[in-house]
Parts: sequence; C-alpha cells; structure tokens
Amino acid sequence: MTVQPVSFDLLDGLIQWLVVFAGFVATFTVVALATSIPLYGVSGPKRVISGAMRGLTDFVSISPRRVYAIAMLAFKESIRRKALLVFVVFAGLFMFAGWFMEGDAARPELHLTNLVAFVFLAMTWIVLPVVVLLSCWGLPEDIRLRSLHTVVTKPVRRNEIVLGRMLGFSAVGTLIIVLMAAVGYGWILRHVPKDVAMFCRVPVYGSISFLDRNGNPQEQGINVGDIVMTRSFIEGGSKATAIWHFPISHEVDELKIESRFEAFRTWKGNMDRSLRVRFTLVNDEKDLRVPLPAYEVNEFRYNEVLISRHQEITDEQTLKKSEVDLFKDLLVPFDPQNEVHRKLQGDASAGVLTVHAQCLDRGQYIGLSPGDCFLRLTDRSFAVGYIKATVGLWLECLLLVVIAVTASCFVKFPVAFILTSSIGVVGSFAYGFLLEIVSGKQKGGGAAESVYRLITHMNETTPLPENLFTKSIVAFDKPLVEGLGIVRYVIPDLSHYGTSEWLAKGFDVPWNGVLLPAMAVTFAYFLPCLLLGYFSLRLRELEAK
Amino acid sequence: MSEAVIQIRNLSKIYRDFWGRKKVQALNSLSLDVNKGEIFGLLGPNGSGKTTTMKLLLGLLFPTDGEISILGKSASDVSKNEQIGYLPEESYLYRFLNAEETLDFYGRLFDISPAERRERTNALIERVGLQHARRRQLKEYSKGMTRRIGLAQALINNPDLVLLDEPTSGLDPLGTRDMKDMILKLRDEGKTVVMCSHLLADVQDVCDRIAILFNGELKELGTVDELLTEQDETQLLTSKLDAETIDELKAVLAKHNADVRSVTHPRNSLEDLFLKTVRTSQERPGQRYVPSAGDGDSAGGSPEPPAADAESN
Ligand SMILES: Nc1ncnc2c1ncn2[C@@H]1O[C@H](COP(=O)(O)OP(=O)(O)O)[C@@H](O)[C@H]1O
Ligand SMILES: [Mg+2]
Repeated sequence: MTVQPVSFDLLDGLIQWLVVFAGFVATFTVVALATSIPLYGVSGPKRVISGAMRGLTDFVSISPRRVYAIAMLAFKESIRRKALLVFVVFAGLFMFAGWFMEGDAARPELHLTNLVAFVFLAMTWIVLPVVVLLSCWGLPEDIRLRSLHTVVTKPVRRNEIVLGRMLGFSAVGTLIIVLMAAVGYGWILRHVPKDVAMFCRVPVYGSISFLDRNGNPQEQGINVGDIVMTRSFIEGGSKATAIWHFPISHEVDELKIESRFEAFRTWKGNMDRSLRVRFTLVNDEKDLRVPLPAYEVNEFRYNEVLISRHQEITDEQTLKKSEVDLFKDLLVPFDPQNEVHRKLQGDASAGVLTVHAQCLDRGQYIGLSPGDCFLRLTDRSFAVGYIKATVGLWLECLLLVVIAVTASCFVKFPVAFILTSSIGVVGSFAYGFLLEIVSGKQKGGGAAESVYRLITHMNETTPLPENLFTKSIVAFDKPLVEGLGIVRYVIPDLSHYGTSEWLAKGFDVPWNGVLLPAMAVTFAYFLPCLLLGYFSLRLRELEAK
Repeated sequence: MSEAVIQIRNLSKIYRDFWGRKKVQALNSLSLDVNKGEIFGLLGPNGSGKTTTMKLLLGLLFPTDGEISILGKSASDVSKNEQIGYLPEESYLYRFLNAEETLDFYGRLFDISPAERRERTNALIERVGLQHARRRQLKEYSKGMTRRIGLAQALINNPDLVLLDEPTSGLDPLGTRDMKDMILKLRDEGKTVVMCSHLLADVQDVCDRIAILFNGELKELGTVDELLTEQDETQLLTSKLDAETIDELKAVLAKHNADVRSVTHPRNSLEDLFLKTVRTSQERPGQRYVPSAGDGDSAGGSPEPPAADAESN
C-alpha cells in the first residue's frame, strides 16, 4: 500500500545538475560561435564573447529594487485582470462537493483520504492552469502592446524583467494557493467524521531481505503469480523469513512497529481468523532472539505492535527467565563496513535493530514490500502534514511559472501555453515511461518500429524479422530515442510533487525523500531558465511581429 | 559648434520577416548630429523612418548597418537610459495602472530615493495637468490624457536627453499648445530634445533645427530660420493704414526699386482663434455665441471680433 520514499542525495543531485548545466552551456557556446562566423565573419566570435561578458555583468548588477518593481507590476496586472476570480470557482466547487462525497460508515478513515485527495486535486487543477495561463500571457502581451518598449527604455536589464515576472507570477500563485488551502482545510474539518483521528504517521523505514523456506538468504521472496510483483511472499510454517534492519536514532521507552501485510491463502484453512505473523527481535552477534507475541494479520488495515524497552525471555533449555534491554542488548552499533547497514536511510546513531517476521500458518503465504513495515515515531499533527503537502503543490506551481515565463520569452502565448502544459503533463504522468523508452526497457522500440508493429499486428516482444527494411526502421528510430534522452534532461520529473498522496494515506510528507527533491528540481530549473529567458529577450528585437 | 549628444553615421535599417527575407528598407544611410541643448525635429511623412530612427537610438531595434553614439555610449548600452526620457509614438503604458502608480513604477526603475520619487510624481502630474485624474486607471484616459501621462513618464528621471515620438499626435489645439510650451520649457531647463512629427506647424513652432526624412533618406537638414526665411523678400507689419498712406508708401518703395507684391490685412491662424475662444470661455463661463439677426454666416464663436493677437509667435 505504501511506497517507501527513495532518499535523495543532494550532493549527488547537485553534481549531476552541474554536469547537465555545463553540458548545455558548452553546447550553446559552440553553436553560437559556429553560427557567428558565417553571419559576421571573423568578428563573429568576438561578438559572442563580448555578448556573454555583458550577460555576466547584467547578472552581477541585478537590482532588487527594479526586480521588485517588475514583480509588483506582474502581480498587480494579474490581480486587476481578476485572476482571483478562480478562487470563486474553487469556493463554489466546495459548496456542492460535500453532497457527493458520502463516506463509508464501516471505514471512516477512508473518508478523510477522499476529502484530502479531493481538496488537492481541485487545488492542483485550478491553480496550475491559471498560473500557467497568466505566466504565458504576460510577456507576449507586453511585447504585442509594446508596453515593454517603455520599460526597456529605462535602465532595466532584461534579466530583471524575466526574474521580476517569475517572482510576480509566483506571488500570484502563492496567494491563490494560500487562500485555497485555507478554505480546503476548513472544508475538510467540517466534513470529516467525528470518530476519525486526524494525524500523520512519521515512519522510519528499514531495509528488507529474505530467507527462503530452507533458511537460505535470498534477495526476494516468492512470486505468487502477479504480473507486476509489488510484494514478495513468504511461506508460512517454514523457515521462510522476512528480515528488516531499522536504523534507530535515540532511545525511547517504547517502539511501535506498524505493518500492513497481504494474506495469500493456498487453502481455506481457518476462515474465522486471519493468518498469524510473529515478529522476533534478533541480535545475531550475541545470538539473542526475543520472540514477540504472534498476531493476526489485519488485511485491509494495518497492525500495530508495541515493543517495550524491557523484554522478558525464557531460555529454551534451562527455562530460566531473564530480562533484556532493547537498546543495550538488542541493537548492534552502526557499522559503515556492513553491506546492509550502508543501505539504511536515516539516523542510526543509537544502532540498528533487526526484526524477523514469519508466517505461522503452514502452506499459507504473507506478502510484503519494503515499505509495508516500519517503525512509527511520534505522530505529527494533521495540520503540519497539510502545510507540507501544500508546500509541495506550491513548489510545483513555482516550477511551472519559471518554465512558462521562460517559454513566453521565446514564443507567443498559445505556443508558450501548449509547450508549458505539455511539459507539465509529460513530467507528471509520463516521466517514468520516458525513462523506460530512453533506457531501452520499454519493449517495442521507437516511433517507427511501433508503427510497423501496429500495422503488421506484431507482438512487442516478438523479435523483428531481419531484413533491410526493419534495419532502416531501427536506424531511423535511433536518433529519435537518443533525442528523447536529451529531452529527459529538459523535462522535469514532476512525480516528486505528489505530496498530497502521503497526507491522504495518513503519512507525514517525508522531507528527504519528497520535499527536498521537489525543492531541488524547482531550483535546478530556475537558473537555466532565467539565463535562457534573458538571452532570448536580449537578442530579440522586441517588435511585435 | 556645441558638443554632439547624438551622432548617427550611415545608419541603415532593413526590416526582415521571420525567415530573414527583406520586407522594408526603413532607413538608408542616415547621418546626422544632435547638439546639446537644442530642440531637434525629425520631419517626414508617415512611414518615412522617424520612429525607426528613434527606436534604433534607444536600442529597441538593432541597426542593419552604421553606427550610433548616444550620450557617448552605444545604443545597446542599458546604462545610457539613466539620462534618457522617451515618449513612444502611442503611449505604450500599462492600462491597468493609474497615473500615480504609473509614475511610481517607472520611477522605481531608476535609482531615485522613495521620497524623491513621490515628490517628482506629484510635481509631474501637476506639470502635465492631470491632478484631477491621478487615481484613474489609464484605460479610462482619453488620447490627450494618455499623451500627457506619457510625457510625465518620460521625465520621471529628470533626463538630459528627451526623445519624443509625435508628441502632439491626437491632442486638441489646446493640448498641442500645452505640449509645445512644455517642450520649450524642457529646452529652457537645459535638456536636449529630439522630437519627430509630421505636423509641420508643431515642428516650426518649437524646433531649433530640423531634418526632413523621406523614404528613409535624409533630404534636408538645417536650422528652422535658415530653411524657412525667404532671403529675397521683406515683410513689414504696421498698425492699420488708410488707402492714401498706402499709396504714399508705394510711391516711396517704387523710388527704391522695390517690387510690392501684396498689401493685405494680416489674418490670425485658426489656432490662435481657437485658443483665444477657449481661454475666454474659461474666464467667462456661461457666455454663448448668439447669431445676430439675419446674419447666419458670421464666422467663429468668439464674442468679440478677432483682434491682433499678442500671443502669436
Ligand atoms: N516592425 C516593423 N516591421 C516591418 N516594417 C516596419 C516595422 N515598423 C516600421 N516598418 C516600416 O518601416 C517604414 C518606416 O516606418 P516608421 O519608422 O514607423 O515611420 P514613421 O515613424 O516615419 O511614420 C515604414 O515603411 C513601415 O511600414
Ligand atoms: Mg512614427
């Protein structure tokens, strides 16, 4: 049900960004130098270099006062063009939406999920199009009406115009989002059933590995026949085990493990009760095993297991009872040499806890994915989670403003709008697909090959017949697919911005795995876009054509 | 010869379409200088390249060929704009701002302290006569009011060089007079003014030197006096004379071999008449033109017969 967030390595991202950025700058420089020679002869390269130097001084001498003036202008323009009217649409939506959102009495917490999902869906689809429309419209309109003429005859640098516009429309987006988020929050509070607890889980995820039925280490469990294997299964009543290692940051009196496993029955068994699972705390170094009481898997919800700091164990041979301390006896110190420890994400300063899970019903299976079991720290309030989710949407809004304003420096409104929306749609819904095509994981080949397969009714896994025609098709596709490889660096991965999903499912929006990369993506686009917009405005005659 | 504020050498501009094909040759090898402290007029019919010249000076357009030096800098140097004020052909302003906000916005683009900015905003609104409309959005402005706020906007930085593109277009005679007076005042303040127009009277009234452009080529250049004075004619203006005196004078002139070409009463220009009418009605509101009995074709709306006008230049 939950997907464990992939931790984001800021330094790694930064390096990758620098490489891509430098690559683009180098490409532009080479192209500019090469085209300047036929245009201006030998003085061409000199012009390119002096133009670049002037760009540098323009960036060094950016004036906050002028940027603020332009930003305020864009803001006023949007407000006076009644951009806030969208807010009326939004509010109207909420007056009636409640009627259609009946909850299921048996599962009231799902109602909260629906409410949250609805609020964020509405915000996303109202805010983003409006802000993109405004951002794409501003500059081309300014050029068309020539009001920009009057502005650029003042001592304004073109980068200040681009930056000011970006900030101004971001401010509009921010205002709309804040207003809508406030209304949405009130609406959720009014409609959520009384008995539903509103909170955000703060999970600590571990790394998972498996033992098969004979007790041999495996990377994965068993596939029970799913086409897409989201969960590995372990067999009950055997030695098959799922092993988690959790990083522990500090000592507490009680640890909470939350799990949501899937049950898979190969025979009916006892239908009155669910499958049983037992957790065992293990310290291999000290050969210490502390079995916890078995519990029944609650299939469509989650199970909570509380582990108190002091556990009593009985020695199997001597039947002597003794007490162990979770932190003193069971944790192993974090070992940077250890393969498993190194995979852990999160603070392990207090040590690493090993937990084994086994199914107790012979012949039945339980399915689990890495994110299905986690340590649950003290819950955060719903309000905090709501704000974090809103911040995610806000960052997405900023990114789209940056892209839209940049596009509007090059092309007229309709083209800029279509371009930005396409980038937004591909980035949100098809980025994974794009990566698969580029990396060759997607079967069926490129554009021409897939047309060929469609016409000839050829399955995408069937190898192409070897002849000249198919070879030329593949050759034709090759540059297209490689072109997509570059597009992949141009189109942002917007999947990071789906922050509201976490909130809807009752989780805190993770900082490292979600908000940080979202911020990184927004900032990564900001500088190159500003540069592009600046050079476009400077090298263009701002005549309405 | 005083120092040149603007130097244009062999300036050419070809407008091209998106594909780089030549559309119009708007300027052809234009060379001229504008000196410090003068009012320079660019005169020419529509489409002769006046606006194009201004935009090239401001760096809004890039020259196809030739060189421009403006205030000692290149046209593409943004910092030159610190000392330049520009009134575009149509006042390309933001229609959703009001007069105060407009001046405040453009003022912020210069390095002016907030207090100074407020002060100049108020002074300029007064100077161009828009006190009554200072809080109204520009989209409600008439053409004349838009020109006025356009001029105010061009002066917000107290520029040394003012470029005015058709400053009087769309203005009524009263507004035209005001505009001309304001332009003359700019010269008195020591500013250099370059204005372009196709309205000959405007140029004649205010400009020190003019250039006549036609089809992008410079056809004539010189001081207004030089270009307009008929060197081989003399005009004499006196108080009203009777027929006898005129004959006497003619006799004297004939003795000196002068050729008397015309003897008439001077006529006022319609501009003078109009201005006078409007001013008197401002002073004495409520007074109307009443046609005298049986005389329907009496000229003008003035309550008094037009007299010699002291205000005419
Ligand atoms: N943006 C433009 N694209 C193409 N041709 C233009 C453009 N602006 C002006 N022109 C042409 O250039 C010539 C000079 O125009 P302009 O400088 O505006 O004349 P003026 O201001 O003297 O009336 C005209 O023939 C006009 O049609
Ligand atoms: Mg013109």
